[in-house]
Amino acid sequence: MKNRLRVLRAEYDWSQAELAERLGVSRQTINAVETGKYEPSLSLAFKIASLFEKQIEEIFQPDEAEVDNLQKLNANDAKF
Amino acid sequence: MKSLSSKLRPVVDALPLLLWGIFYILARLALENSALDSWLRVLIALLPIPPFIYFLAAAVSHIRSMDELERRVHLEALAVAFPLTLLLVMILGLMELAVGLSPDDWSYRHLLPYLATFYFLGLVIAWKRYK
Repeated sequence: MKNRLRVLRAEYDWSQAELAERLGVSRQTINAVETGKYEPSLSLAFKIASLFEKQIEEIFQPDEAEVDNLQKLNANDAKF
Repeated sequence: MKSLSSKLRPVVDALPLLLWGIFYILARLALENSALDSWLRVLIALLPIPPFIYFLAAAVSHIRSMDELERRVHLEALAVAFPLTLLLVMILGLMELAVGLSPDDWSYRHLLPYLATFYFLGLVIAWKRYK
C-alpha cells in the first residue's frame, strides 16, 4: 500500500509529533505509516482522511502488485 | 522542560512490576533461607499473588491505552515469547526424562527470567520491524 501522508503533512507544515497528537496515536505510528512499514486500520485511515479533508483513496492507494493480484482474482472469478 | 509528573510517569508505570518483583524476591529469600512451618511456607509462596493481580490490572490498562501499532508490537512480542516458552518447557520436560534434572539446577522458579527475556526479545524484534 502506498500513501501520500508525508506529502500532506508537509503541505500542512506539521511535524510527525504534531500529526500524531491530532490523531491520538504515537509518533512511531505516523513514521511507520509514512514509511509503508505499517498499514493503518480502517478507523485510523478514516481519521487521517477526515483530518486532511480528503477521501481515503486520495491518501492510500494499493501497490501495482496488489492491483495485479486483484485483477487476476477478478479474472478467475469471471471464469467460474 | 518536562514537568515533574511526566518525569515521574515511567516510575509510576513501573511500580506494579516493581512491587510484584519485590514480593517475589522476598518470598523466594524467605523460603530458601529459613526453616518455617509448612503452613507458613505455603502462605509465603502465595504472597506474590495480590501484587501480581495489581500488575496484571495495570498491564491490561496500559495495553488499552496504547495505539494500534503499539498493541500490534506487543502482540508480536507475545507471538515470539509464547512459542519460545513452550519450546523451553518441552525441552526441560524431555531432558528431565532423559537425564533426570536436579531441581536445584532446573525447576519452575528458573523459568521466570527466561519468560521475561523472551518477551523483551519479542519486543525488540517487533519494534525493529516497524522502525
